[in-house]
Amino acid sequence: MTGARAALRRAGIAFALFPLLALLAPLIAREKPWITGRAGETILSAPVPFDPDGVDLDRRLTPPGRRHLLGTDELGRDVLARVLHGARLSFAAGLLASALALGLGAALGTLAGWAGGRTDRAVLLVLQIVQALPALVLVIAGAAFLRPSFLVAALLIALTGWTDAARLVRAGTQRLRNQAFVDAARASGASDARLLFVHVLPHALPPALATLPYVLGSAVLTEAGLSFLGLGAPPPAASWGRALAEARNLLPDAWWCVLPPGFALFLLVFTARRLGDAFLGRRGDVQSRLA
Amino acid sequence: MLRFLLRRVASALMTLLGVLALVFGLVTAAPGDAASLAARAGGNRAVPVSPEALAAFRHLYGLDRPVAERFVTWTLRALRLDFGRSLVDGQPVADRVARALPTTLALNIAALLLACLVGVPLGVAAARRPGGRLDRISGFVCDALFSTPSFVLGLLLLLVFSGWLRVTPLFADAETGLRGFVLPVVTLTLASLALVARFVRVCVAAALADPAALAGRARGEGPPAEIGRALRRSAASFAAMGAALVPAVVSGSILVERVFSLPGAGGLLAEAVFARDLPTVLALTLLSAAVVVAASLAGDLVTAAFDPRTADADEALPGGVTP
Repeated sequence: MTGARAALRRAGIAFALFPLLALLAPLIAREKPWITGRAGETILSAPVPFDPDGVDLDRRLTPPGRRHLLGTDELGRDVLARVLHGARLSFAAGLLASALALGLGAALGTLAGWAGGRTDRAVLLVLQIVQALPALVLVIAGAAFLRPSFLVAALLIALTGWTDAARLVRAGTQRLRNQAFVDAARASGASDARLLFVHVLPHALPPALATLPYVLGSAVLTEAGLSFLGLGAPPPAASWGRALAEARNLLPDAWWCVLPPGFALFLLVFTARRLGDAFLGRRGDVQSRLA
Repeated sequence: MLRFLLRRVASALMTLLGVLALVFGLVTAAPGDAASLAARAGGNRAVPVSPEALAAFRHLYGLDRPVAERFVTWTLRALRLDFGRSLVDGQPVADRVARALPTTLALNIAALLLACLVGVPLGVAAARRPGGRLDRISGFVCDALFSTPSFVLGLLLLLVFSGWLRVTPLFADAETGLRGFVLPVVTLTLASLALVARFVRVCVAAALADPAALAGRARGEGPPAEIGRALRRSAASFAAMGAALVPAVVSGSILVERVFSLPGAGGLLAEAVFARDLPTVLALTLLSAAVVVAASLAGDLVTAAFDPRTADADEALPGGVTP
């Protein structure tokens, strides 16, 4: 058990780096110095002294060096600053989309499991329809009708990501609905709402909540894919997906534009999945990997 | 068994009808109807289109009919694979899709075959010693592959093999021939390989830990017979895995075709979205849904053939995977 606990702590710390970086990015990477002297001279500059949108056409596509640790892109913007700020967008999109997806899934799963009968069948039909469309296809088709933006992307991703949570909560609610302790509460006059919120949901929700890291990981992947296709948050927002799309046309020269956002994306998804594995405490479980 | 088959086919048809309704609903609810979209997509945006022309267009295409009637007409035409004409070049959508499809199919079938050819032996080898060195290494590699977006993988391969080693072309076209297909196929293979190898490993390890395997060992069966039995016992789960792989493959193929600028269905979808070419977007959306539903149906039927208990389970949810 201590092994599992240590694994959870390690995974948690690794994963927590991303929200931390996302929160601190405007402090770490900014052109304005941390401390300015009276005459306006720089006393202490930020660790990455560049704004993510700071265009510098004299320094386009400089390779990594002392001034720009990870080089600059085709507009002379510092790659490190953009990757750091990109963490904000990716993490926020992933978190928003996965929270919405879990909320929606929990609500529909509870409804289906608790009401049963016709309602159950209706929810299952909707679930099957959403599952019949590959996530990216549904999100792209939706993006074709709406103006691309951060919020639209997160909403569309949530609309595709709720099905697994709904299945889990539905199964849990069904299993618990007729347990002896629920019957006892019902017999002693508890209302439907009380039965649901006090007796059933506290047991039915945790399995679905434990999948949050997986859902977040796949939401981040879908957002990056959408941005890569040019359908995510519009420019000039620093986005890993779009940075990669821009870098594609610079190949084979500007390798420093490809590797940092690609690696950041990988690391965020990888640590999220590790956290999910640690939550579930069972490595090699395949069902949750299909998300 | 027959009842199960009929029920699953009916449920698959219901799902497809639901997808049709969803897609139709999207079109109907979208801001700006087909007439104004066609006016915008077809010509110069600076030239205003008169309201009379828009009304004539709507009448010509039956857009002034009631919604229910339009849905029925639209569905009947979709069933005949008639999706109208593209707003980009005026070609029938079905022809454009048919031209793009062979590339996508060749790419994905090759990638899936390769993923199985490599993934199944790898999974079996890892399962023979759970926790052994091979198991841990392949587990880590698969985890890493699983967390890498397919388009990042593609870009990396492109950087190394086309940029640095210069053995493959940067942009695939007719001149580069088959060489242009190597990297996309490898990218998609690696993307599916992780799932196949890990899934096979879990199933085979479970089957090898089973008392039946112990009984076989006690009778003096060698490893080949033992593994053959384990694979047979897992066949039902493999069918479910194959079906679950399809949506991921479709999504991955869209991005990978974009990375390698291949003229496939995924690339067509991305292009059509940019051009706001709704008929093409809708046709491709429906096509991908049909592929996924068909795969899920086939997976369920194969699962039931290998393991009749699944057919008896009343609450069996189609498309679910149980390792």
